[in-house]
Amino acid sequence: MTMWMQAHPMTLVGLVLWAVGILWLMPRKQTGKPRPQLPGVLIVAAGLVTFCLSCGKSESELADDVMFWVFAIGALMSGVLMITARNPVYAALWFALATLSTCGLFLLQHAPFLAAATIIVYAGAVIVTFLFVIMLAQQSGAAGYDQRSSQSLLATISAFVLLGALSLTLQSEKIDLARPVVAAESQAATGGMSILSLNLSAEPVDIVPLLPGNLMSKADAKHPVGDLQGLGKSLFGDYLFAVELAGTLLLVASIGAIAIAPRREQGAI
Amino acid sequence: MTPEEQRFLLVGAGLFVLGAIGFVTRRNLILMVLSAELMLHGVSLTLVTFGRMHQTNEGQAFTIFTLTVAACEAGLALSLVLSLYRKSHSLDIRLWSELRESDMSGPALDSSGERGKLSSYEDIPTLTPAGIVPQNPPRAAAAENVPTSHRI
Repeated sequence: MTMWMQAHPMTLVGLVLWAVGILWLMPRKQTGKPRPQLPGVLIVAAGLVTFCLSCGKSESELADDVMFWVFAIGALMSGVLMITARNPVYAALWFALATLSTCGLFLLQHAPFLAAATIIVYAGAVIVTFLFVIMLAQQSGAAGYDQRSSQSLLATISAFVLLGALSLTLQSEKIDLARPVVAAESQAATGGMSILSLNLSAEPVDIVPLLPGNLMSKADAKHPVGDLQGLGKSLFGDYLFAVELAGTLLLVASIGAIAIAPRREQGAI
Repeated sequence: MTPEEQRFLLVGAGLFVLGAIGFVTRRNLILMVLSAELMLHGVSLTLVTFGRMHQTNEGQAFTIFTLTVAACEAGLALSLVLSLYRKSHSLDIRLWSELRESDMSGPALDSSGERGKLSSYEDIPTLTPAGIVPQNPPRAAAAENVPTSHRI
């Protein structure tokens, strides 16, 4: 852990600034003058920029880096402003912006179909439904429960401890998440107990894939990852039953939503 | 794991943690559902990155299922929110703390110390109270009650 702190001091600084900014922005019971929003936004922005810049640069060209920084800072900043918004309508709009930025990150990760589907489902359906419900259930004036948050200090500290632990794990050089399968020799040496354990040894070993995985989901040179044909083959080849189940789930959920929602003869909302 | 993949995973973790903070701290029912959706975004980004890391399409296929479940969840949650709003005429989650079991302590109070009351208690489902905790461990009590003539 101290090694991580020495190797990535900027990540730590970014996390601390980020947490302080969230605490500043959290709605709380106002005694006297309301706290200005702008310093909190600036603190969060500084923390986010530090955090994202410390995530490292890729070997690719500068344009990819700039796109990543724009989308990542956009997504995280909209997320912060969403969870600290005092007006639920603004929160829904910030959530839409976070969704759009996440779709940009999907595009950078070679998932164009997923980006389009997410925009259609979230921005087209979910946000609109949320806004309708907010308009239906909105009380006149600012509601008291939106003006204060419960246990914000404890929640922020524990959540950022979790994020620090995740960064520590992800930035550690010993753990290589891209190689979950161990070599056949070391597996035999440990008695076959470590099929799914991470490769914790520092030196790379020869990778013998023990679990072949789903064959139709593999990407090859002709159909790289995110290729629509490959994705379709994966969905309707390996996961055909799951697709049918998901369709059934949608049907059941829509029936349930209609059954649960209050009817007109039960009185106005 | 290249730095390229690492930073996408870090952003996914950040989105998840932000959603978790929002879910815990906010008291508006709709904002809690929105925060859960933000957590799902973080998980989706992580799944896509893992899929690209392993050169398979499985991450994206999983994310499509996540999207389906998120859409179902949003529809069901909003109809539940509407029916709860019809009962209490407020979106405050605190008002529903009465649904807990009777021997559990309530949520921590605000600094203002206010705790809302539901406007009407009709038609609200309640948990059945749990049974009484037995005074003595049943096996030991049974062993003591056995007559001496039957002991081996």
